[in-house]
Amino acid sequence: MLVLFETAAGYAIFKVIDESKLQEVDSLWKEFETPEKANKVVKLKHFEKFQDTTEALAAATALVEGKIGKSLKKILKKVAATEAHEQLAISDAKLGGVIKEKLNLSCIHSPAVAELMRGIRNQMEGLITGLPPREISAMSLGLAHSLSRYKLKFSPDKVDTMIVQAISLLDDLDKELNNYVMRCREWYGWHFPELGKVVTDNMAYCKTVLKIGERTNVAGSDLSDLLPEEIEGEVKLAAEISMGTEVSEQDINNIKHLCDQVIEITEYRAQLYDYLKNRMMAIAPNLTVMVGELVGARLISHAGSLLNLAKHPASTVQILGAEKALFRALKTRKDTPKYGLIYHASLVGQTTAKNKGKISRMLAAKASLAIRYDALGEDTNAEMGVENRAKLEARLRQLEEKGIRRISGTGKAMAKADKYQHKSEVKMYDPSGDSTIPSTSKKRKFEEVEEAEEPVTPVTQKTKKPKKEPVAEEEAAQMETEETPKKKKKKKEKKEEAVAEEPKEEEQEEEVTEATEKKKKKKKKKVKEEEED
Amino acid sequence: MRPGFSPRGDRGGRGRGGYGDRGGFGDRGGRGRGGFGDRGGRGGFGDRGGFRGGRGGFRSPEGGFRGRGGGRGTPRGRGGRGGFGAGRKVLVEPHRHEGVFICRGKEDALVTKNMVVGESVYGEKRINVEEGETKIEYRAWNPFRSKLAAAILGGIDQIHIKPGAKIMYLGAASGTTVSHVSDIVGPEGLVYAVEFSHRSGRDLLNVAKKRTNIIPIIEDARHPHKYRMLVGMVDVIFADVAQPDQTRIVALNAHNFLKNNGHFVISIKANCIDSTAAPEAVFASEVKKMSGENMKPQEQLTLEPYERDHAVVVGVYRPTPKQKK
Repeated sequence: MLVLFETAAGYAIFKVIDESKLQEVDSLWKEFETPEKANKVVKLKHFEKFQDTTEALAAATALVEGKIGKSLKKILKKVAATEAHEQLAISDAKLGGVIKEKLNLSCIHSPAVAELMRGIRNQMEGLITGLPPREISAMSLGLAHSLSRYKLKFSPDKVDTMIVQAISLLDDLDKELNNYVMRCREWYGWHFPELGKVVTDNMAYCKTVLKIGERTNVAGSDLSDLLPEEIEGEVKLAAEISMGTEVSEQDINNIKHLCDQVIEITEYRAQLYDYLKNRMMAIAPNLTVMVGELVGARLISHAGSLLNLAKHPASTVQILGAEKALFRALKTRKDTPKYGLIYHASLVGQTTAKNKGKISRMLAAKASLAIRYDALGEDTNAEMGVENRAKLEARLRQLEEKGIRRISGTGKAMAKADKYQHKSEVKMYDPSGDSTIPSTSKKRKFEEVEEAEEPVTPVTQKTKKPKKEPVAEEEAAQMETEETPKKKKKKKEKKEEAVAEEPKEEEQEEEVTEATEKKKKKKKKKVKEEEED
Repeated sequence: MRPGFSPRGDRGGRGRGGYGDRGGFGDRGGRGRGGFGDRGGRGGFGDRGGFRGGRGGFRSPEGGFRGRGGGRGTPRGRGGRGGFGAGRKVLVEPHRHEGVFICRGKEDALVTKNMVVGESVYGEKRINVEEGETKIEYRAWNPFRSKLAAAILGGIDQIHIKPGAKIMYLGAASGTTVSHVSDIVGPEGLVYAVEFSHRSGRDLLNVAKKRTNIIPIIEDARHPHKYRMLVGMVDVIFADVAQPDQTRIVALNAHNFLKNNGHFVISIKANCIDSTAAPEAVFASEVKKMSGENMKPQEQLTLEPYERDHAVVVGVYRPTPKQKK
């Protein structure tokens, strides 16, 4: 009798040496206690090893379904060729029936056979020579994983690890690119600093540096394809009068290498972004339609995986990314944030500030449905996402129009908003109103200084029994200073004062002498007090 | 002459390695250069362990040191740490069962030694302990989620799951208890995890990816011949299937894969077998069914206070008859 024994490494055919032992089913286990004893009962006749994991996987799936796989057919044909009269002991009765049909081999399955199988399984390593036990366990592990993945219809398209890694790489590249460009600018700025100030775009800067190399080549080179004309002209001009130092050929070469790197990384970044967009559309089409690729990818990477993201309630999706603000607000019993990463979605971006909160909540609710559909649904199409987005946009329009509906009339008519007209109203600051002490503008000419000082004294004296002489002049001075605040333009003020000053200069000279004695205002006040006393 | 464009794989690789860990926590801390990123990813456990000496006893005379300790103590953003906050002094001692440990601190917890350091399978707490130079990480085992942990805490005599053993786990679900069993048996042992549900199967597959001693089998446990190709002989069958015919399922698997004198540990949910009968009656009937299948029950334990109307039965399969001479 032959025994068919399936392992993860391959098919094994054993020949039962001593068939009488099979009669005593209960004590059969004794025969398999040690490898030596086992070898006396059964002997390995043939071992068909699986070539690779695909073959093993095919054999395993055939076994699960109870069919004969290719490798099994091969080995059984060999058996049929040599020993067709022998019976074949197998573990699965159904399989036995199929073998009998197809290959005309009589199969048996009985309790004795089951015991036999147990024994063989116990002593698997000892019986199947030429196969180290490590290999069997490694093969069975690999086969189990492939079989499980096959069962779960694992599709490499729907792996969201790619998204998580791609978005992190995108952020990394941006940081690195920025660093490199800054370094390049600083380095080349040693030789030609003006270029950095003239050319603001990073890519254009690097390409320009690559093209011109040494500053002296600028005049001869043609930068029209890299830079717009005016800037090119400015560059050429700056190259003539640059204050940078000379650098050697080797230095320029190294800088050029750096510029090469920058350009390569920028191109790679663009390529990566495309790749990310494709993957997002393949993995989560509904989410992509609703919030966009970048925001969707950030949400997935923040949650860890698409399935994790699907487990979050909509309120969490709304504030994913604002955890610091959220917990701070919760601890201090303040208002929690209204949006997190969702803020950067186009739907939220295009609303007014007042409605951002409402839209963010609505978008989070619908997006959460889309995420769950993508993560757990069977088929992958973007219909649901498109529908939801249309609904949201309609609601958005409603929100914005809610405030401007006509009150009277039909009520349903829409109030017409005024066409936006830019009323250019430039208001100038009026400095005269900020001090009760009548003074002129701050920028005073030499003549004004004297004039400014002298009104101080007359005013104070006016309030407390002024002498008669200064009275008339005080009033005149006061009139003058009252006039000046009314005029807006300071230049005119100065002119008028200057004009008014001159005729009065002679008159005021007396007071000027008084004023010059008391130079600082504080001192003057004290003096006045003394005078009053 | 041109320096080749290396696509920053090295930094990307390191970043990626750290990121996977962080992704699990949903924590996008700043990823700076150098070692700072790794420190962030560990959730501050490794870093704070260093300060344990200073904080534990507050014995340091420097006021500055205490101030630093105070500063670290207040921000409890993670919340719900229980007895094992950052920097708490804990003592881990082995349990009577081999491979299982007890963590003694403000509150005691059942822990297993983490085979995949730095990773949490279902968000459980991890405890880092330094023994001389080596750092060992343990994972807390929740008895409310795991029947095996509830049985151990209930005082079961023998679980038979020990380092180096081969276990067949029927009803693996998402792999939460399977991961702890895998920790116990260690790299020398094997756990054949059988789970029929596809959803749970996906999570199980993820757990099995990290732990090479778990062999995931997405099949119905009622038909052991379907996965006979993947399984060798096992020492222990652990069953947590919650099916009315679970004894028959275990028996079928035992006939196929359980060695002589092997043991079985079955968790019985009374409601599941027969919701109308009394739990004790259900347990008794199950025990009777087992005896008929050449499975000899040795002990039975109810899982109060962790579960209601649950019991765990441990027994031996095909025991060698005691020879009376």
